[in-house]
Amino acid sequence: MNSKMDQRETAVFAATISRRGFVKTGGALLVSLAFPVRFTGKTEAAENPTSIDPTLLASWLEIRSDNTIVARTGRAETGVGITGYYAQTIAEELNVRPETITLVMGDTDRTPDGGYSAGFLTGMSNVRKVAAYTYIALLGLAAAQLGVSVSSLTVTDGVVSDGGKKISYGELVQGQHLELKIPVKGELAKPDPARWVGMSSLDGLTVEGDPPMKAVKDFRVIGTSFPAGHIPDKVTGKTQWSCDLTLPGMLHARMVRPATLGSTLVSAGTIDTTTFPTAQLIQKGNLLAVVSPNEWEALQAALSVASTTRWTEWSGLPGSENVTEAIRGSKWQKPSGSRGKAAETTAALQAATKKISAAYEQGYVRHAPIGPFLAVADVKNDGRATVWTHSAQSQGLRARIAYLLGVPVEKVVVRWMDQSGQYGRTTLGGDGAEADAAILSQLTGKPVRVQWTLQEDMAWSSVSPAWVSDVTAALDAKGHIVALHSAQYSPHMFDPRPLGALLAGMPTATSKPGNWVATEWAYDKIENRLEDVYGMPNLGADSASGGLRGNIMRTPGQRQQNFALEGLINEAAAIAGADPIEYRLAHTTDERLINLLHATAKAANWDTRSSPHRGARRTGNITVKGHGVCAMIRENAYWVAIAEISVVPNSGQVQVMKFTIGGEPGKIINPRQLDRCMKSGVVMGLSEALKEEVTFDKSKVTSTNWSRYKILTMEEMPEIQVVQLSRDDKGFGGGSEAANAIVPPAVTAAFFDATGVHARRIPLTPERVLALLRTGGKSS
Amino acid sequence: MPAQLTLTVNGAEQTTTVDPNTPLLFVLRNELKLTGPKMGCGMAQCGACAVLLDGEEIRTCITPVSYAAGKQVITIEGLPAVWAAQKPLSASEAAVTLHPVQQAWIDEQVPQCGYCQSGMMIAAVELLSKNPNPTIAQIKDAFTNKPPSPHLCRCGTYAAIIDAVQRAARAMKGAER
Repeated sequence: MNSKMDQRETAVFAATISRRGFVKTGGALLVSLAFPVRFTGKTEAAENPTSIDPTLLASWLEIRSDNTIVARTGRAETGVGITGYYAQTIAEELNVRPETITLVMGDTDRTPDGGYSAGFLTGMSNVRKVAAYTYIALLGLAAAQLGVSVSSLTVTDGVVSDGGKKISYGELVQGQHLELKIPVKGELAKPDPARWVGMSSLDGLTVEGDPPMKAVKDFRVIGTSFPAGHIPDKVTGKTQWSCDLTLPGMLHARMVRPATLGSTLVSAGTIDTTTFPTAQLIQKGNLLAVVSPNEWEALQAALSVASTTRWTEWSGLPGSENVTEAIRGSKWQKPSGSRGKAAETTAALQAATKKISAAYEQGYVRHAPIGPFLAVADVKNDGRATVWTHSAQSQGLRARIAYLLGVPVEKVVVRWMDQSGQYGRTTLGGDGAEADAAILSQLTGKPVRVQWTLQEDMAWSSVSPAWVSDVTAALDAKGHIVALHSAQYSPHMFDPRPLGALLAGMPTATSKPGNWVATEWAYDKIENRLEDVYGMPNLGADSASGGLRGNIMRTPGQRQQNFALEGLINEAAAIAGADPIEYRLAHTTDERLINLLHATAKAANWDTRSSPHRGARRTGNITVKGHGVCAMIRENAYWVAIAEISVVPNSGQVQVMKFTIGGEPGKIINPRQLDRCMKSGVVMGLSEALKEEVTFDKSKVTSTNWSRYKILTMEEMPEIQVVQLSRDDKGFGGGSEAANAIVPPAVTAAFFDATGVHARRIPLTPERVLALLRTGGKSS
Repeated sequence: MPAQLTLTVNGAEQTTTVDPNTPLLFVLRNELKLTGPKMGCGMAQCGACAVLLDGEEIRTCITPVSYAAGKQVITIEGLPAVWAAQKPLSASEAAVTLHPVQQAWIDEQVPQCGYCQSGMMIAAVELLSKNPNPTIAQIKDAFTNKPPSPHLCRCGTYAAIIDAVQRAARAMKGAER
């Protein structure tokens, strides 16, 4: 490097970076053409398995001389539009057009940070800071190049100008190899038996420092409905999904699962080699599979093997019809999580002259992707392994695969590709077909593609656990809540251990049986509150497969805890004879919640009155109607839902006629993507409120296809009205997750409004509704 | 026993030697490398694997490849050509024009994970071929009640699909000559 170059860089750092003290002036400033790693083919991944250096800006962002930009993030597009949001965020800070940005997502060997794809706020903060650092550096380069001061420069669409002279970002980096180090904190995921999920650092690396970022009032790209980049190729069939990957010599596998969740192998069936000449039976412990170069042969031979394979009997489940009673009857110790004022709340409840309490509950539900899980793995003799996956937690998965194979994490590469949505199932880095594929590849010495069947996915994947919750509130003379205690009991939702590893008896990072308080408190006028959350091991935990492995699912914890909390607030409002929206307004001074309640009520043309409706009935063939409301805060975003439903008491039929959802996530980044996420979240929430429940007998899951695990159809979707409030003074909030969670409490509130009967358990299937209306609900 | 079969897929004749009972889905994806149709339930309960067979939607996960022999198979990869022939478009126009249903799916930002959307677009093309101006109720009915099963989307994109079907209907109508 010549001295002139050195001086220029020093000037850059002196002018912008060292002054703020957030960058070590180690290397040179970034670059384009000479970025050292080039990726030409998926199969080469294992040749270069080490993660790239996250302290180098070039690992995150590459400004190319053709004025295009490559951005790298360990997080992936899970269907909520981050290919849009991330490009917008980077474009905003760099003052470039978002179309010029290409995202590389999720691959452990070519993205720097790891982290949850669900962790929108932290992921977005990372890319925003990276872009901000780059912007400073580029301005410094331009100032030196043009011989003007940084303060005289403006940038439009990647062209820097002082009003007269101009130079593009591409020209700035042309022919150079520059490097900028940025400060990062944290480490990539690794197994850690001390942690609840058996892993640490699942949130990956965080970009440190405080580079100057654009003021919200100056945003030009954020706030527009920029299209998500993943969509066109999916619509035309060009996207290569993980299920589309083929490798030379690749074998197709179909798994042969045990007869029950706790069965162990007695004797494996055999393959008729006349009928299935190229199929091969593979076994390790209780892991049994058929592999073949031909997928149809693998499938048929696996069915044949299954019919002649013998397993031990096992029964260790309570049966889904008894599940909440079984949970209630467990030996509960101390809460695994508590929040609030214990002494004050207890005292206030004891002193109260008027109290109400209610018990809420729900059975197991599941993520239920349309595409059963699938993975491809190529494990070499020397321990190097590449896994192709759609996990939303590539680094966590990488650590789990390394742990089960007994190799250093550096030996493993995880490549992310699009695949069916998963709704939180892979957020903790486990539960998919990846372990099956890695083990089978290790045993066969060939690349193996494992395709789960729907029945297998629904019988063997992890689940969102059943729960019960007891809530008690003390009321004052006006019927307002002055103290509130909630206690929630549930098998834990932190067990994403890979099924393949469990069945094969290979190492898994064990999780602990705790849960946590997930609610964010919306009602600051209720000062005395105490929330306790209890966790227990999986049902059937002692079995070879780990039983019903609890896992997080979209809006985890808060979905369940908010159902109970909002349910009780609706009951308290009814007792007070208050309109449920007025009642909420009386319990909060939070301006954001107040504004959103008003805006959503107005859009829904809310009829202000107390519930139940004066025409409420719980018998008869005539349709009764009701409305209900629910509110929630999550990840700096506010949510309000209003459901309008009809019920035919004598048939138990519940129909949601109209749903209004309001969201205020600070500054809205992309109104259309948010609209899509809000509406689709309502669909998922209605599905849970009206239809979904995992059924099981004493030994196995029985809801193993779409006619037994029913989800909402298009015809069952009501008109959905969306209210969006964007504001410039509260930062960004999570917009893609919470919409599902606010649906069930609004629907059950509307059910009470229509019938006068509190529905404290979902789903509101006709059978359950008939039973509920017959008894009038449990007394409180 | 493997047999030689000839299919017409997206307008091209394809000859393949496979077990005639092999699901059409496996042949399309593994032999012909047409990966638009996706493996979903494997039992005709979800619609992810749908293609058009002589203009009618079928579920390829349960359809033996022999059933498709001598018939016209259309996957999403072939939809632009269907539109180009229908309109008709010149070769240069056709090269840059998607089927209006595909374009509407992009314009309305329909896919979330996108896994079911190949089947959804196939259902939309079939619906619009029979009913060029469907109401919301007719769209819901088509995607829900037409045998053998509802088209399921777990991401919950139904509202976006309705918007896109109506947008496509307008585009196709406007494009009529």
